[in-house]
Amino acid sequence: MRADYIRIYKSVHTWTGIVAGMALFIAFYAGALTVFKEPLRRWSTPPAALMQPVPMDAAQPLIVQTLAATPAAGRGATLRLEGGQAIARLEWQVRNPKADDHDESSVRHFSAVLAPDGSVQVREQPPSRLVEFIDVLHRVVGLPVDSDPNRWIMGVISALYFLALVSGVVVLLPSLVKDFFALRVGRNLKRMWLDAHNVVGIVSLPFHIVMALSAVVFAYHDQIFALQDKLVHQGQWSQAFPRSQAKPGEAPPRDPAGMLPPSRLVQIVKDAAPGFEPVGLQYSQVTGPKPMVRVWGKNPEAVSPRALGGFAALDPYSGKLLSSDYLSGAQSTPNLFISSFFALHMASFGGAAVPWLYLLLGLAGAWLFYSGNLLWVETRRKAQRRGGEMPAQRRDTALMASATVGVCIGCVAGISLTLAAAKWLPGRVDGLAAWHVGIYYSVFFACVAWAFARGAARAAVPLLWLAVACTLAIPASSLLGWLAPGTGAWAERALLGVDLTALAGALALAWMARATARRVRSGPQDSVWSAARPQPAGEGQGQEPALPWPR
Amino acid sequence: MSAAPAETEAGRRARPRPVRADWLSKTLAGLLLGFSLSIIASGLLMTQLRELPVAVSGQLAMWLVPPVWLLVLACVYFFASGLRAWAWLLGANALALGLWWLIRQGGAA
Repeated sequence: MRADYIRIYKSVHTWTGIVAGMALFIAFYAGALTVFKEPLRRWSTPPAALMQPVPMDAAQPLIVQTLAATPAAGRGATLRLEGGQAIARLEWQVRNPKADDHDESSVRHFSAVLAPDGSVQVREQPPSRLVEFIDVLHRVVGLPVDSDPNRWIMGVISALYFLALVSGVVVLLPSLVKDFFALRVGRNLKRMWLDAHNVVGIVSLPFHIVMALSAVVFAYHDQIFALQDKLVHQGQWSQAFPRSQAKPGEAPPRDPAGMLPPSRLVQIVKDAAPGFEPVGLQYSQVTGPKPMVRVWGKNPEAVSPRALGGFAALDPYSGKLLSSDYLSGAQSTPNLFISSFFALHMASFGGAAVPWLYLLLGLAGAWLFYSGNLLWVETRRKAQRRGGEMPAQRRDTALMASATVGVCIGCVAGISLTLAAAKWLPGRVDGLAAWHVGIYYSVFFACVAWAFARGAARAAVPLLWLAVACTLAIPASSLLGWLAPGTGAWAERALLGVDLTALAGALALAWMARATARRVRSGPQDSVWSAARPQPAGEGQGQEPALPWPR
Repeated sequence: MSAAPAETEAGRRARPRPVRADWLSKTLAGLLLGFSLSIIASGLLMTQLRELPVAVSGQLAMWLVPPVWLLVLACVYFFASGLRAWAWLLGANALALGLWWLIRQGGAA
């Protein structure tokens, strides 16, 4: 390949990477955790808020009475299923009609349970929103609210990310065969980091291409659909999804008492898709002329079209299968093709090993962006000649190093602390959701400010130890809850995996902190990573370019 | 966002025509003409998916847009100059548009 191309694409790679890198670090770190949304949700929910499951059909009186008596629930309400049983609580949401379609923060959550005397008790129940907040960080690259403009920013970042992927491959191609199996561990640390950056990038390239392209789709699908409807489909697309409500008085309202019980609905879907494991029933418009129940569930042997799984749409009165377009295991080929894009992004396929694989790929991706920033900084270092004067370093490299350290470690520490706080906040404060957001951003911005104030070298080690402490607080909170239940914290054996993973993460961070401390103390002093003040000539120990962490 | 000077390199080597960076014009060509090409490509795909319901084929057509758009944008820097990028991509757009028109004429008849 001509050297011109390499030079041009190196510029593309540098600038797209530097603009998108830190936002992508947050998206990948938070996204890697979002894969385990459900375990994290259960880990962070107080046991008092958990309900014992009851046989599925025991929930039928609750469903019938609530849907008949509460118009908002009649429009759409969900019953959660667990291991063939039901959680006897019906939940629904009321959206602020003025708010953005995707803005979850303006949604009010309600739930209904059956009192011992058989009456329906409705109450507003704000969810803890902790895992939703981490998901929002993932979806809008660290911004606080998942709104349209924020998702457009995410879309731009994702497009830059795709450019960085292609340009990185173009730059690497001529030396790929030579470099791919070479991890030159040795005195030239920059070479080693570059080798590691390349090998992680190439090995996980398919994963990254899928993520970049699907993220662009998630950001702009509404706009693309609207434009295609005008230019390609001649208006047929918007008519394919009639949203018109039946006008009142058109047909007599139907009585939910005539609906089939949950066990019958689930059996119909199981017959249509063997291996389907139901997780919920979502009723909608059951008193109207087009009643529907979506039977949601997972099928470990098939592709799930959404993170939650897939669903079959049934008529809740007749049990007629209205649509299996989104039913995992019973989809037509074109629908399966579309679902696979979602499944590949959200790890909703392939059983238990895939989420762990995605966790590793996500963390490796976060490391890829982090190491990319470090390589940018290191490439611009003015090396001190042996015995020469300490050269003046560029200011932008110092600022970029501070930003990288502050943003990346701040994100890790902030997420860890807000997770740990889930065991301490319930019952002590009002407005759990705001507290989780506040804790995250306090830690995050404090870390960024500290990194700029102290400089990368002197901030990195204390910040890493802070991240260790915040991450250790996760298993420590569970341990305290187990030893001293009076504190309000709690522990659950089934969710020990969350605590053990956090413990492993804390150990990994501690290892990084120690390696960085060694580097900061005794590495070359012409680096932004050296905490030592510039010293008189002759004091520099090495002339090898070096990077901070593992040696 | 300025054209990078490539003259010195041209003098050093025997290459006849150095690749101009032309950041602004190439990027705009990739963004604008890549997008129009991706929409036309989705139209071409739709002509091949007539037997599917629009609710399904429309989704497939939507998913085609970002890959085509971004691949064009990513590869646009391979053109020798911004002018060539615009010329070739305009040609590709015209060709694809013509093909789409032809197929639709044939389909209507």
